[in-house]
Amino acid sequence: MNEMKNIRESGLLERYLLGELSPLEERQIQDQLEADSSLMNHFQTLEANFEQIAQENAIQPPAELKDTILKVATVNEVNTHETNSGSALKSYLAIAASLALLFGVSSFWLYSQINTMEEDLRLVQEEKLQLKSNYERLESDLAETSKWYTLVNHPDTEKFILKGNDQSPNATAISYVNHKSKSVVLNAKGLPTLDNDHDYQLWADVEGVMIDMGVIPKNSEMIAMNYIPNSESLNITIEPAGGNDHPTVERLISNIYL
Amino acid sequence: MPKEELLISQLKKGNTKALSTVYDNYSGALYGVILRMCKNEAQAQDLLQEVFLKIWNNANSYDPAKGKFYTWAYRIARNITLNALRNPSNLIQNEDLSVYSNKPEEETIDLDFVKLNGSIKQLESHHQKALELVYFNGLTHREAHQQMGVPLGTFKSYIQQALKKMRELYEVGALVLWSLIECI
Repeated sequence: MNEMKNIRESGLLERYLLGELSPLEERQIQDQLEADSSLMNHFQTLEANFEQIAQENAIQPPAELKDTILKVATVNEVNTHETNSGSALKSYLAIAASLALLFGVSSFWLYSQINTMEEDLRLVQEEKLQLKSNYERLESDLAETSKWYTLVNHPDTEKFILKGNDQSPNATAISYVNHKSKSVVLNAKGLPTLDNDHDYQLWADVEGVMIDMGVIPKNSEMIAMNYIPNSESLNITIEPAGGNDHPTVERLISNIYL
Repeated sequence: MPKEELLISQLKKGNTKALSTVYDNYSGALYGVILRMCKNEAQAQDLLQEVFLKIWNNANSYDPAKGKFYTWAYRIARNITLNALRNPSNLIQNEDLSVYSNKPEEETIDLDFVKLNGSIKQLESHHQKALELVYFNGLTHREAHQQMGVPLGTFKSYIQQALKKMRELYEVGALVLWSLIECI
């Protein structure tokens, strides 16, 4: 109670009303006012009288001043709104620009990734084709090898080695003859290479007549030749490219009796 | 919602009509204070404009629980005017300041124009002077007691007595008004 009396009599309320007090003192007075309704009533009377004294001593400013103030206030309001909308627009633009940049970078990254993947895919497809080709070649080789292997290792197959005569001393060819299956296979790897104008040709001697068994293709290893029944011997001659109807006996390089 | 409260609520929402009404209600009282403080009409008008723009822009910081709107507006007017008087370079200059600085104060103001009016005139002169210094000249209690040449305690009691007398005068005035209404 003494504190309240002290506030009333110390002039603190009057000074509070005028805004003379420090923030701390103001806070204390506000607390006291909130806590004490009679003190608050006293302050409200003080305020009312203060305002009444001011109104009694009012001096009217020039009439045009009001228009000026209202115009400036309106302009300030517009500017504030424009500034706000301007800053909002800037914010939106900044967000849009950031998103665009993000999308741009992402798109470029994705584009690079797609390009890389496409290149990888192309390489994989090429490799796949290569592997497929290799596989097919190997499969083909295996099938052929198996075929020759089966043929040359058959118990009914007879092996004959044709060695070169004086005309071609280094020549060697191996023939595999199976009379039951009526097949002849020639391994011509050991024959010397001929020029493009000549080919080797294989002949069967049947009762003194040389019968064509086929032209031996260049660069071939195992070749299936025509089987000629009742053949007494196998003969290899050098003939014009593409083969001949009759053997050129002068150029016989090898023969073997069966 | 009371009329005053509604008005301030509209002001806080940025309603210029509310600002217009607030100006009508308080510009005279505030201009009276500002003019008595700076004693220069052109400057007082510039400062009044500054005060109302601050009221307009800072309306949301007014808390009715802490006091009347006039009290809040008065503090703004007092602070702006004191700052302008303390820092002449910050003044909104509508004329060359050097003119003012070389002129005697009396030449820039019609003293009759700022004489006190109303109930305050019924106070004893020293009470009148004490209230004038703190209410209309923007002086603090400490500055005012030196101005009057009396001890601070004495000055405070002048203020207390002056305000008590004013309270009584207004209460009598209110009673008279009430009686007149009753008679009618």
